Amino acid sequence: MNENGNAPIALNAEQVWFSYPHRGAVLKNVSLSIPAGKHTVIMGPSGTGKTTLLRVLAGILKPSRGRITVFDQPVAGRSQREMSSLIGYIPQQLGLVRNLSALDNVLMGALGRLGDTKTLLGLFPRQEINAAHAALDMMGIDHKSAEQVFHLSGGERQRVAIARTLLQRPRIVIADEFASDLDLAMAYEILGRIRSAAARENLTFIMSMHRVGLARTFGDGVLALQNGEIMRGFIGNEIIETAQEAATL
Amino acid sequence: MRSKLFLPITTALFLLAVLAHLGFFEWDRLARGFRNLTILGAEMVPPDMSILPTASAALWETVEMSFAGTLLGFLAALPLSILATRRLFSDWISRLARFVAAGIRTIPVLLAAIVFVILVGLGPLAGTFGIAAYTVGYLAKIYADLFEGTDPEIIEAVQSTGASKLQLVRYVIVPETANAILAQVLFMLEYNIRASSILGFVGAGGLGLVIQIYLQNLNYRRLATVLLLVLIIVLLMDGISAWLRKKFLLSTQGT
Repeated sequence: MNENGNAPIALNAEQVWFSYPHRGAVLKNVSLSIPAGKHTVIMGPSGTGKTTLLRVLAGILKPSRGRITVFDQPVAGRSQREMSSLIGYIPQQLGLVRNLSALDNVLMGALGRLGDTKTLLGLFPRQEINAAHAALDMMGIDHKSAEQVFHLSGGERQRVAIARTLLQRPRIVIADEFASDLDLAMAYEILGRIRSAAARENLTFIMSMHRVGLARTFGDGVLALQNGEIMRGFIGNEIIETAQEAATL
Repeated sequence: MRSKLFLPITTALFLLAVLAHLGFFEWDRLARGFRNLTILGAEMVPPDMSILPTASAALWETVEMSFAGTLLGFLAALPLSILATRRLFSDWISRLARFVAAGIRTIPVLLAAIVFVILVGLGPLAGTFGIAAYTVGYLAKIYADLFEGTDPEIIEAVQSTGASKLQLVRYVIVPETANAILAQVLFMLEYNIRASSILGFVGAGGLGLVIQIYLQNLNYRRLATVLLLVLIIVLLMDGISAWLRKKFLLSTQGT
């Protein structure tokens, strides 16, 4: 429980700085708290450091300064395998392997908890395969489980990417510009499915978005990022106003 | 302006000088060569088909050597190229693997065959090893570059599921580069069939010995038969690899 007596904090960043080699700081003194079990949307103009922020929060990039904790445990020094049980990350281009089937891509979510020996031969336990089908079904795409990702449409690929992360069973999902390339009806449908899946699995979602309407529907809270700094963080009723402001920043 | 023309003009002058040194401008010599070509052509027809059984056996040996050598080289190149992928392994491991591949690659296939003739004796086994060695050096380099070119976003995404390095190779790197892996190994097989037809010159088995004998005995009608066989097998290989490509390679357009 945090000091407001609201939801516990899933992810906390304190005075986080980040810069790439030979470039100025991309993240400047970012502090934020992501409430557990909620959907937080990060908005801001392009080139402002949203992707960098998400990658730092996901533990893919190490912050140059500052501290990140996940459920009150520091992230620094943890292996990728340990992190995988806490945070699932979906990059903007989804990171699916195009030559493999939707099912194979979803099964990759389980790699972190399975050993090398059998998975290298392409063997997965029955229960993982069933769970993968269940995850695909939850996203409404199980009928295409045998199709190569290569043959799937943009929206179908988004569903597969989410299903892979569901199978990973992290506590927090971080997705970069999710559903950004989809038409609105499709985006609403997929985000609706994500909301119900997240409720069922008690997941915390962090997504960057640039569409106000989607952010309003999907987000419980919005953070606005500008020039590598968090400008505002709002929860609840103020979301519409904030989202609109964020979009016009 | 001056600097723009400098490179083409010096290159052209250098080319002319080199050609002159090589005898390219000795017209009567070239004319003689042309006359000889017509004589040689005339002496090659009709091809002598009586040696077909001998030549076919040698040809089959060449095909066997190329097939086995290419596959052995391919199998050895895979782990070496994985080690040489900087994204997966530390700097010094990948450097060492690249150095080994470069070292193998500097040995021309004919020289490798000679070395293996010394090591394992005359015959197709030496040729097979020679081809395998050359294939390792070439494919390890190509594959390592290929693997390093894998979309980093996909690697990151799957790495964040907690996948190990070997799992990344199995589920991301190899599937993502499968098209090019197959295309390169087919190219290598075609190349090795052509290359291995001369390995017999150094006693490493296959057609080369037959070619050498007919050349030395000025038996051009028999040589013509052998060359026709090589042509047929190369065309056949082209056909087979085109078919394999069509069957297994995915088009990655529109993604």
